[in-house]
Amino acid sequence: MAFLEVHDVHTYYGNIHALKGISLTVERGEIVTLIGGNGAGKTTTLRTICGLLKPRRGKVILDGEDLADFKTHQIVYKGVAMVPEGRGVFARLTVEENLDLGAYSRNDRATYASDLERVFGLFPRLKERRKQVAGTLSGGEQQMLAIGRALMAHPRILLLDEPSMGLAPILVEGIFDTIKDINREGTTILLVEQNALMALSIASRGYVLQTGQIVLQDSAENLQANEMVQKAYLGIE
Amino acid sequence: MRKHLIHGLTSGIVFGIITVFLLLIGFLSTIADLLLVAINIKSLESAGLSAQTLNLLLFLGLLGVFTGIRALRGAEPLSWVQAILSSTLAGLVHGLIAGSAGFILGTLTDNGVKLTTYLSAMLPQTVNLYILNRAPLDGATSLLLLFTLTGLVGGLIAKGLGSRKVGERAGAFWQTTVTSVTELPAIKRVQSSPITRYVIYGILLLIVFLLPQRLGQYWNYTVGTVGIYVLLGLGLNIVVGLAGLLDLGYVAFFAIGAYTVALMTAPEPHALGINFWVALLSGLVLAALAGILLGVPVLRMRGDYLAIVTLGFGEIIRVLSRSDLLTPFTGGPRGVRDIAGPTIFGKPFNSDIDFVYLITLAVILIIFITNRLQNSRVGRAWVAMREDETVAQAMGIDTMKAKLLAFSIGAAFAGVGGVLFASRNQFTGPEDHNLMVSINVLALVIVGGMGSIPGVIAGAFVLKGLPEVLRQLENFRILAFGALLVVMMIWRPEGLIPSARRQLEMHGEEPPPEEVIQQVTKPASAEVES
Ligand SMILES: Nc1ncnc2c1ncn2[C@@H]1O[C@H](COP(=O)(O)OP(=O)(O)OP(=O)(O)O)[C@@H](O)[C@H]1O
Ligand SMILES: [Mg+2]
Repeated sequence: MAFLEVHDVHTYYGNIHALKGISLTVERGEIVTLIGGNGAGKTTTLRTICGLLKPRRGKVILDGEDLADFKTHQIVYKGVAMVPEGRGVFARLTVEENLDLGAYSRNDRATYASDLERVFGLFPRLKERRKQVAGTLSGGEQQMLAIGRALMAHPRILLLDEPSMGLAPILVEGIFDTIKDINREGTTILLVEQNALMALSIASRGYVLQTGQIVLQDSAENLQANEMVQKAYLGIE
Repeated sequence: MRKHLIHGLTSGIVFGIITVFLLLIGFLSTIADLLLVAINIKSLESAGLSAQTLNLLLFLGLLGVFTGIRALRGAEPLSWVQAILSSTLAGLVHGLIAGSAGFILGTLTDNGVKLTTYLSAMLPQTVNLYILNRAPLDGATSLLLLFTLTGLVGGLIAKGLGSRKVGERAGAFWQTTVTSVTELPAIKRVQSSPITRYVIYGILLLIVFLLPQRLGQYWNYTVGTVGIYVLLGLGLNIVVGLAGLLDLGYVAFFAIGAYTVALMTAPEPHALGINFWVALLSGLVLAALAGILLGVPVLRMRGDYLAIVTLGFGEIIRVLSRSDLLTPFTGGPRGVRDIAGPTIFGKPFNSDIDFVYLITLAVILIIFITNRLQNSRVGRAWVAMREDETVAQAMGIDTMKAKLLAFSIGAAFAGVGGVLFASRNQFTGPEDHNLMVSINVLALVIVGGMGSIPGVIAGAFVLKGLPEVLRQLENFRILAFGALLVVMMIWRPEGLIPSARRQLEMHGEEPPPEEVIQQVTKPASAEVES
C-alpha cells in the first residue's frame, strides 16, 4: 500500500465544489508533483490532506490509517508537514523563533540542536539572519525559512505548495536542488507547482489537475513529452 | 525670521497652558509649600515677600527660562537678534496666558464667586498666592513681566551655550555618563551576578513594604485599587496580548470572584461563614471553570464575533446578579455587605493597608506565573496562534486547547481580583461589575503596551491612579483625563512600555534593535553567538 493515498476526495467551500473526486498516491521516498493552473484545486488538495479542510466524500489514508477523524495538529504529529502557499512565515517573529515553532510537534528536545544545524546546513543564509524578524527577509529567504521550519518537525512526508512562486529563476533552481537533497535524505515529498518544467525535472511521477479533477497522470518523463502538458504548462507550442 | 517668531509663539502657548494647568490642579501651591521646607528665610518677610511667594516665583521663573530655551529649539541657525526676539515673544505669550488666568481667577474671587465649586484646588488663598497677593490687575502684570523677563533670560542662556543644542547636549552628557558608568567592568560583573539582582529585588520589596505605612488611608485605598487592576490587566493581557483573543466581557470573571467571596463569607443572604482563604481559592477555581465553560462554545469564533459574544456574557452575569429571580441568592440590586476579610494567626487582616500588602503579594505571584507562562511551550503556542492561526495548526499546535488555557488562566486571575476587591470593600453589588470595568482593563492593557508586563503595571497606574491625582479638577477631571489619553496614544501608539515585538511592529520603518543590525551587517560575527 502506498504511503499516502488520496481516494476519491470531494472537498467543498460552502457550495463551491472545489475538488471533484481526486485520487492520487505517493510512495515512500518518492517525489510526486501535482501541477495545474490557477484555481485548479492544488492548494485545496494539500489543505485537505493535512486536515485543514475536511472532505465531504472520500478518504485520505496515511501509512494505512484513515485521517478522517484527526485534526490538523494531530496529523502533524503523524509526520505530515506543510510549507503553505505564500510561505506563511510568522512575520513578526525572528528566524530562530520560526524554526523553534517548526519543532513544536517534536517531543524530544534532544535532537533540536542537530536539527537546527541541519537546516542551517541546507540554508546558510538563515544562519546569518537567525535573529532577524522573518517579515524583513527577502522572498527567497522566506521560502527557505518556510521549508526549514517544516523540516524541523522531522516530517515523514513534506507537502510543498508552490515553492517557486515569486522567485527569480536562479533562486528557484537553488530551492529545487535543496528539495532534491531533502528527498535524498529520506523525506517523501508531494510538490504542488505551476512551474511544471522545474517540478517535472525533479519528480518521478506527476498528476495534472484541472478544475478540481485529475486529467492526466504519468511518469515525469512521459508528462514532459506529453503534447497537452507541453501546450498548457510548458509553454511549448 | 517668521519661523523663529512662530517657534517663540508655540513655545509660549505650550508653557502658558502648562502653567495654568499646574495652577488649576493645585500643583503650584503644593510646590510653594514643599519648597517652603527648604527655603525659609524670615528676613524676607520683612521685605514684604513671603517665603511661599518666593518659592512660587522661583518655580515660575524656572518655567519661564524653559520657555525661552524651548523657543529656540529647532530654529537653527539664528542670530542674537532673532534669539532675543523669539524668546521674548515666547515669554510674553506665556505671561499673557498665565497673567490672564490670574486676572480672571483673581477678579472672580474678589467678587465672591466660590471657585471651589468647580475647581476644588482654587481656594481664595491659592488664587491670591498665584497673583502674588496683589490686586488682580497688578498681580497679572507682575506675572507678565516675570515671564517676559525670564523668557528672555532663557533665550540668552540658550543662545550663549549654543542655542538649541542645550537640551541635546544635556541629553548627550547624561547618556555618556550613564554608559560610561554601566560599561565599567565592575558594574557589568555586578549586573550579571544573580546576587545583585536579588539585592535590587530586596530593595524594591523593602520599598513596597514600607511605602504603605507612609501613604495614609486614602492613597492606600487608591494603590490597592490600582493593584487589583494590575491583576485584572495581567489576566486580560494573557487573553488579548498573548493569545490574541478579544474578550470584552472580562468583568464576568471578576464578578464571579467577587460574588464567590461575598456569598461564602457574608452574614447575608446565606450566612455560610466560610473562611476567606477557602473563598479565595474557590473564586479562582470557579472563575477558571467559567472561563472554560464559556470558552468551549465561543472560542471557535474569530475576532469581532468573539468580542460581541463575550461582551454579552459580561452583561448577562451582571443582569442575572441583580434580577428579582436571583435576589434571594445573590442579594439582588442592593448587593452584599459585610464581606469577610482574611485573618492571619487569629488577627483580622482587613484595613486598607493590610489589603495593599495582600494585593501586592498576589500581583508578585501572578507576575511570576505570567513570566513563566510566556516562556513556556504554551507561551510559544499563544504567540504562533496570535500571528497566524492556520499556520499555527500546521505546526502541530492544538489551537483550541491553547485558547481555552489562555481564557481560563485569564479568568482565574480576574477571579482573584474580584475576591480581593469585594473583600477589601466589604461590599459587592451589580454596579461594581458593569461594562466599564471590562473597558478600563482593556484600555489599560492597550495604553500600557500589549503583551508587556511592565506595560500593564504602568497602564494601571495611569488609568486608575491618574484620575485620583486629577481629582482636584473636579468636573473637568474626565475631560483632562481623556485629553491626556489621546495625547498619550498619539505620542506612543504602541503603549507606554511596549513589548519588544510590538515596538518593532509600530515603528517598522525605524532601524531595528542593535542586535539585529549587527546580525545583518556583520554576518561573519554570527558564528560567535552567545
Ligand atoms: N476560502 C475559499 N472560499 C471559497 N472558495 C475557495 C476558497 N479557497 C479556494 N476557493 C476556490 O476553490 C478553487 C480551488 O482553489 P485552490 O486555491 O485550491 O487553487 P490552486 O490550484 O491552489 O490555485 P493557485 O495556483 O492560484 O494557488 C478555486 O476555484 C477557488 O476560487
Ligand atoms: Mg494554490
